[in-house]
Amino acid sequence: MAVPRAKELINEPSCGHKQKDKAACRKAPEPGSSSGGCAFDGATIALVPIADAAHLVHGPIACWGNAWGSRNSLSSGPSLYRTAFTTDLSENDIVMGGEEKLFRAILEIAGRYSPKALFVYLTCVPASTGEDIESVCKKASRKTGLPVIPVMAPGFVGSKVLGTRVAGDTLLRRVIGTREPKETTPFDIALIGEYNVSGELWDILPVFTKLGIRVLSKITGDGRFEEVATAHRAKLSVLICSNALINLAGGLEERYGIPFVEGSFFGLKETNGLLLRIVERLGDAALIEKTRAFTQAMTSQTLQTLEPIRKRLFGKRAVLYTGGVKSWSVISALKDLGMEVIATSTRKSTEQDIAKAKELLGDRGVLLTRASGGELLELVRTRGADMLIAGGRNQYVALKSRIPFLDVNQERMRGYAGYKGLIRLAKDVDRALANPVWRLVLEPAPWEAAVAGELAAEV
Amino acid sequence: MDTGKTNAPLGIKDHVELFQEERYQKSFEAKRAASEMPCEEDVLKISEWTKTKEYKEKNFAREAAVINPAKACQPLGAVLCSLGFEGTLPFVHGSQGCVAYFRTYFARHFKEPIAAVSSSMTEDAAVFGGLSNMIEGLGNAYALYKPQMIAVSTTCMAEVIGDDLNAFIKNAKEQGAVPEDLPVPFAHTPSFVGSHVTGYDNMLKGILQALSEARPKGSPNGKVNIIPGFDTYPANIREVKRMLKAFGIEATILADTSDVVDSPNTGDYQLYPAGTPLEEALDAQNASATLALQRYSTLKTLEWVSQNWAQQKTLALRPIGVKGTDAFMEALSEITGKPIPEELEKERGRLLDAMTDSSAWIHGKRFAIYGDPDLVLGLTSFLMELGAEPAHVLCTNGDKEFTKEAEYLLSSNPFGASGKVYTGKDLWHLRSLLFTEPVDFFIGNAHGKYLQRDTGTPLVRIGFPIFDRHHLHRYPILGYQGALNVLTMVVNTVLDELDRKTNVPGKTDISFDLIR
Ligand code: SF4
Ligand code: SF4
Repeated sequence: MAVPRAKELINEPSCGHKQKDKAACRKAPEPGSSSGGCAFDGATIALVPIADAAHLVHGPIACWGNAWGSRNSLSSGPSLYRTAFTTDLSENDIVMGGEEKLFRAILEIAGRYSPKALFVYLTCVPASTGEDIESVCKKASRKTGLPVIPVMAPGFVGSKVLGTRVAGDTLLRRVIGTREPKETTPFDIALIGEYNVSGELWDILPVFTKLGIRVLSKITGDGRFEEVATAHRAKLSVLICSNALINLAGGLEERYGIPFVEGSFFGLKETNGLLLRIVERLGDAALIEKTRAFTQAMTSQTLQTLEPIRKRLFGKRAVLYTGGVKSWSVISALKDLGMEVIATSTRKSTEQDIAKAKELLGDRGVLLTRASGGELLELVRTRGADMLIAGGRNQYVALKSRIPFLDVNQERMRGYAGYKGLIRLAKDVDRALANPVWRLVLEPAPWEAAVAGELAAEV
Repeated sequence: MDTGKTNAPLGIKDHVELFQEERYQKSFEAKRAASEMPCEEDVLKISEWTKTKEYKEKNFAREAAVINPAKACQPLGAVLCSLGFEGTLPFVHGSQGCVAYFRTYFARHFKEPIAAVSSSMTEDAAVFGGLSNMIEGLGNAYALYKPQMIAVSTTCMAEVIGDDLNAFIKNAKEQGAVPEDLPVPFAHTPSFVGSHVTGYDNMLKGILQALSEARPKGSPNGKVNIIPGFDTYPANIREVKRMLKAFGIEATILADTSDVVDSPNTGDYQLYPAGTPLEEALDAQNASATLALQRYSTLKTLEWVSQNWAQQKTLALRPIGVKGTDAFMEALSEITGKPIPEELEKERGRLLDAMTDSSAWIHGKRFAIYGDPDLVLGLTSFLMELGAEPAHVLCTNGDKEFTKEAEYLLSSNPFGASGKVYTGKDLWHLRSLLFTEPVDFFIGNAHGKYLQRDTGTPLVRIGFPIFDRHHLHRYPILGYQGALNVLTMVVNTVLDELDRKTNVPGKTDISFDLIR
């Protein structure tokens, strides 16, 4: 089988997961229980935002057919990444081997779309029949003169997280370092793990611009192939809300001596903290001074804007069900809004994440390892929470149960990062809670109320 | 709960409006200029080129790469079918990711929680076979979700390995993973040989087979079985039930997804909100007839039914549009001996009346359509009843049989004379067609929005999936009532477009009329 690297990655030294919960990366999902996305899914989430590349999925029709176009990663320029390419392996291809078809597909796409590069994603079927797509990519690359990059994360190797990790590794080994930037500045950074969901990145970039920090390489939100390829010239890499890509940050450090900081742009405290950590690592006194002043100014400005909403949100209780870094960073943001989080999940979280989550939750908070939709609802009810903040998977379960809901995961429709994002988050939480539909939904129908009244009168 | 009005003007926009602003557009512009992209002119040149005949030929010569596929895969259809039975858990044997996609796919279309599990095969399973995953999976699923029936289908990987479902399930029962008497029907659903409509067919056949094996044939129950097929409009099933009620016909819907994928908000989330009761499904073999409302998603099932249930009639109809619905009415009347109910006759009359009101706007309009085989055929036929002219009839998952039927449909109707049928083609092909041989509107699913953007052709959203407009699946497109809905969507799309073309004051607004 053609995916040995995926196995190694599970034991990546810079993985934040402790040995015992390496399982979180590796752990084969439990057969028969409802499971999340596969490694292939994780790899596409991480790489498809590279907007000027063509993304070709080698497999039967629907691995991509079911998924294409469903992410909200935005691009300010090329839109080639939104076009879905697949080899649509038929029975015949599977019997005869699909390598030849893959090769021709690459040539067709290269000839007609002039992509900056091609990413070729392996899926379960060609992986289990043992196709050698690495050689095909090599051959196609020689023929087309384009980088043709195999992404070896067929679904069956494991979870979404592992797929993202494979994606990071692929960038590290096959993309980064293959191009040189036109110029460098002392304050060049690489942003890792920000996918520009709903344009979130565009709330953050202006902040860097204002401070005089240049984002040399965006990995991968609103990303461009060449820009990603120059990441090795960054002075610092900044890993945002991602455990999965820590191998990439670690790799950059190991190979090119680029240090990294981790953090999140959810909430005031985290945003300020991360910005300060970045400039401290960049080590320029004037920049540090400037950033201090900037964060202070932004903090008071943001709080002032939030004032009316914070009054309404004060003391409102939420159950948070997301994963990884967000399991605590979103708590921090909600606390900025005066809210209380009574439970959070620790799926895909590291020990560090869990410790932070514990600290932010306080003694009474609940840490959930894994909860089904039903269990979440139970928790919301028994703990008297006002809303559920989670991923799209739980959205309709919550709505069916008449629980106000907000999506903070990959599918979210609006950006919540940075100062502006926090205000948007406040607004959306506020709206989710105060929507008049909830009253309507919670009140009994008038005739039911009447019946209840009559019954009471009879007694 | 707060009830206050909340929209304090905070001045924070979301990406929809935000990035339209000039400063963002300027900065995007600047980025483009900064060499990362070919210059605007080149982009334009290329994009112009993709609109040409020459490009179309190249595009149609393409054979290895599929671009923007317009079909989903077999197990997705199997999952929808399974959901339509009471207390039934769809269980897909194979790698986990496929199922995660199916769940999101349906959840986004129906805006409902969807339950489905996988046996989560891993690399080891790929080498050694998936038996242990199947046994463990069935056991876990039974313990966790307490289904009355588990309907097993497969992903491509399990099919490539060649896992033997029948033996595996037997084995699982012998080992006590699930009770001996739990129905565990199965279907092999390799996507590399079919699409979601085939998967639906295979699964339904599997379920009916398993259920009728569980009980010997009894005495006739006087009912009619209705098979909706791969239908993503719960309102269609409700509409059909309403029509049957008007007739006074007792029917069993196989499989009734309507209240599963569109359940009322009771404040109580239920894993199995509804579906065809298993008791009724067990009794289905004793009905007097079985009618399918789609052909291509029920081929194997109907064949099996006619061979094994020996009923008075086994038939596939397509109650879309006037003639399609008429045929359905007549079949019902013939099977049961009941007259066409007055209520439905009146409905038909109202539909015809509406058609006379609007057909002048639709007459002679050229259109393109893509989607699942039966939907495409039914709608094309109805639009020709209105005088519209199909130009491009595209069905990615259509087979030879479909091509024959579609070509016959076009050639037997003067309005279809200039229409062409395309199977196995994708949306990138259709894009070329819309450029080189433009039409007045086209019918398709949500992915059509990109075609609309690129070619400027107005889109009428009918099909699956529809992620980007709300509640369309809650309106029927079957029956006379459904035809009225389709008519309304089509004529108003034409009129919207007319307004759009005539709305520049002093320039094009000569015919910006109040009355249309
Ligand atoms: S592997 Fe097959 S079953 Fe799974 S998503 Fe792809 S096409 Fe569908
Ligand atoms: S076949 Fe494999 S890669 Fe494709 S969706 Fe299924 S699990 Fe993922």
